[in-house]
Formats: sequence, C-alpha cells, structure tokens
Amino acid sequence: MQEEQLITGLRARDRQTVDYLYEKYSKALFAVISRVIKDRDIAEEVFHDAFVKIIRKIDSYDESKGRLYTWMANVCRNAAIDKTRSKEFSKIQKTNTIDNYVYGLEGSSSTLDAVDGIGVKDLMTNLNEEQRFVVECIYFKGYTHSEISEEYEIPLGTVKSRIRAAINVLKKNINRI
Amino acid sequence: MDIQSYIASGKLELFVLGELSDREREEVLQLSKQYPEIKKELDEIEEAMFAFDNELGVKPSDEVKDKIFDTLSQELDAPKVTKEVTSTPTKEVALQPWKSFAVAASIVALLAIGAAVYYAVRFYDVENRFTSLLEERNVLSQELEINKARFEETGDQLQTLLSNNYERIPMSGESFELQKDALVDVFWDKASHEVFVSVNNLSSLEEEKDYQLWAIGDDGPVGIGIVKPGEKLKLQQMEAAVSAGAFAITIEPKGGSEAPTLENLVVIGEVA
Repeated sequence: MQEEQLITGLRARDRQTVDYLYEKYSKALFAVISRVIKDRDIAEEVFHDAFVKIIRKIDSYDESKGRLYTWMANVCRNAAIDKTRSKEFSKIQKTNTIDNYVYGLEGSSSTLDAVDGIGVKDLMTNLNEEQRFVVECIYFKGYTHSEISEEYEIPLGTVKSRIRAAINVLKKNINRI
Repeated sequence: MDIQSYIASGKLELFVLGELSDREREEVLQLSKQYPEIKKELDEIEEAMFAFDNELGVKPSDEVKDKIFDTLSQELDAPKVTKEVTSTPTKEVALQPWKSFAVAASIVALLAIGAAVYYAVRFYDVENRFTSLLEERNVLSQELEINKARFEETGDQLQTLLSNNYERIPMSGESFELQKDALVDVFWDKASHEVFVSVNNLSSLEEEKDYQLWAIGDDGPVGIGIVKPGEKLKLQQMEAAVSAGAFAITIEPKGGSEAPTLENLVVIGEVA
C-alpha cells in the first residue's frame, strides 16, 4: 500500500487499513517503546495507548511535516518518555535502566547479545565503538542526544556527528537485513 | 548554502528521532522543501530507521492487538455499518447485471482470444505452405523451360541428322596409350561441310587443357573446334570441314592449338 493510500484509509477510519497499519508497523513501533521501557507489560500498555492515539489523531498528522513512520515513531517515543517521567514509573525503572546500562558498558557486548535478529547483530558489528555507543544509548536505552551529552560529558556536537555516522552505516547496510 | 555540510551536521537524524526543537524542525522542513537532496536524505534515514526498528522489535502480544481494536471498535465500525445499510439495496440491483455482463464479456473475450490464436496459427501454417508451393512451382517452371529448350535442341539436332546426308565416323582410342576406352563419333555432311561430334566415352581434363578436333585432309590437320567431354551422347556442332580423310582428337592447351600435338593423340577415325 502506498503511503498516501494508507493515510487516506486511516482518515476514513477504514478498519482494514488500520489492520494493515498494525501488521506493518506494530513490530517497529513496539521496538521504539521497548527501547525506553524494558518492562514488557508496561511497554505493551504504552503501545496500546500510543497506537490508539495514532489512529485517533491521524487528522492532526501533517504530511508536509515529515513522513508517516517518523510521526508515529515520535508519538510512541514521546508516550514512552512521558511514562518514564510519571511518578510511579520513575521509582522503579529509570535508575534501573542506567544501572543496567553502566553494566552493559563494562560487560561491553551484553546489549548486543540481547539483540535477537542475526542481521542486526551483523549490522552492529559494522559500527565502531563510539558509534555503537550512541546507537545503544538511543536505540536500546532510549536516551535523547542531550541526555547522552550530559550523562557522559560528551559535547553535544560530537554526539550529533556520532549519531549521524552511526545511522549512515546502518543506512548503507540496511539492505542486507 | 552548503547542503552537504548541512546533511553532515546530523540534524536530519535528530529530526527523524524527534529530538529537535520546534524552531529547528521548521528549519529542516523548510529546507527539505527547497532542496531535494535533503528530502531524499530524510526519506532514507526514515527508511533505515524503520527497517532497523522492524528488524529489532518483537511483535507485541496478540492480546494487545485485540485490546487496541476493542478500544477502537466503535470508531472504526460505526461509520461502516451506516454506510452499508444505505447502500446495500441499490448496490445489489446495480451489481448483479453488471456482474453477469462482466462474466459474459470475459467469456466472449476469452473465446475471441482463442479464436484469434487458432486462426493466427492456421494462417501462419497456410502461409508457410503457400510460400513453399510457390517456390516449388518456380522450380518446376524453370525445369520445364530447361527441358523445353533441351527438347527443341534435340529435335533440331535430330532433324539436321535425318534431313541431311550425314556420315558417321567412329573414332576410338584403342590404338593409343592415352585413353584405350575413349570413343567419340563424328557426323559429317560432305555436301554442306557441317560437322557434329557425339562423345561416348572421354575422360575429363584438367582446367588448363582442352580436347581439340582435327579434320585431316590433303593440306594436313585443321582444328575445327573444342570437344566438351562432359556432354555425352549429345551432338556438339563443330566448324565446317571441307575435305577430310580422317578425324582425330588431341589434348591441347586451353583454347586449342594451331597444329596438333601428336603425342597427345587420343582418338582417330578414318572416313570410309
């Protein structure tokens, strides 16, 4: 289905189109959320709310402001980040995440082992250490670039250029997975 | 502006990651409208991230999907039901004849395609046969022309032989070493001086040699033409011979010689 067709169908509240959207994007969008929220039950709860929100707010999606997946991923991401900032969550999760991460850094490839797709593992090994670091922070830990900069005392510009370099490598290799 | 260094700044990645301020977002959008390279880069980043997320993620459990569609069921199904109620009766009436017409049209189309293919194949076949018949006919008519010419020639020769007073002088190679079995007949009309030869048996020669017929009279041998060894039992007309006591054939260089090379004498026959 073409993106325009998909959007038209969503705006018409067509059940089949919503089903198609779910089948095509749920895995990726759930991944976006799972990156920020490790607990599967909570992640699914957030995903439920975020997906419903996407369907309900589709009229406020503006094609001229970016493509559909970008928008949906941002809705999911924001929902997940909002969740981590809520009172009940911050107690149990956020500190936990950082601890895990520090452990992950020292144990070097523990996050890599968590990756289930063999293709992605391949992909990750194409990155150098600095690039892998930002990808892990952003993709696996749900950090924003400014959080990385603050947390690890890396200048913001450096974080940006590492993200860029890492995504470039992913872009070049994405056809292989 | 330098688009490449803008792309290289990493801003586009942050845009897709949703990490830009509103002001920066506006800037990226503005530029992506202005520069196709930026738009393309944005699309590629998005595709890469989607593929990455998609590869990385696990499917949320089926209960989540059920729950989502439960939550949305009112919104998604409600408009559809009213739509169906209003449109069903008219649709059914309109749909049925159209459907059968479509079926009929499809069948007709299929039959037409079948017929077209069948006749195309037949046409092709017939055309092929027609072409080969034409060719055969051409060959036959050419053969007929050749046979007609031959027949006329033979008729003429027979006529000359019968109407005039031809004498047959057989020449043989029996007494020579060259071709013992050589046998050639000369037909000579003493009154009209016309001479024909008919080859019975004569070996073929190398390219640069010819058989030459000699009429041997009181003034010695006179060359009266080249004999073709291939044309057997056919009358070959030679030059006229006024007087001759014998006829002979020698092998000469191509085109014949002024005087016969006697050691190359093949056949000889005396006039009776």
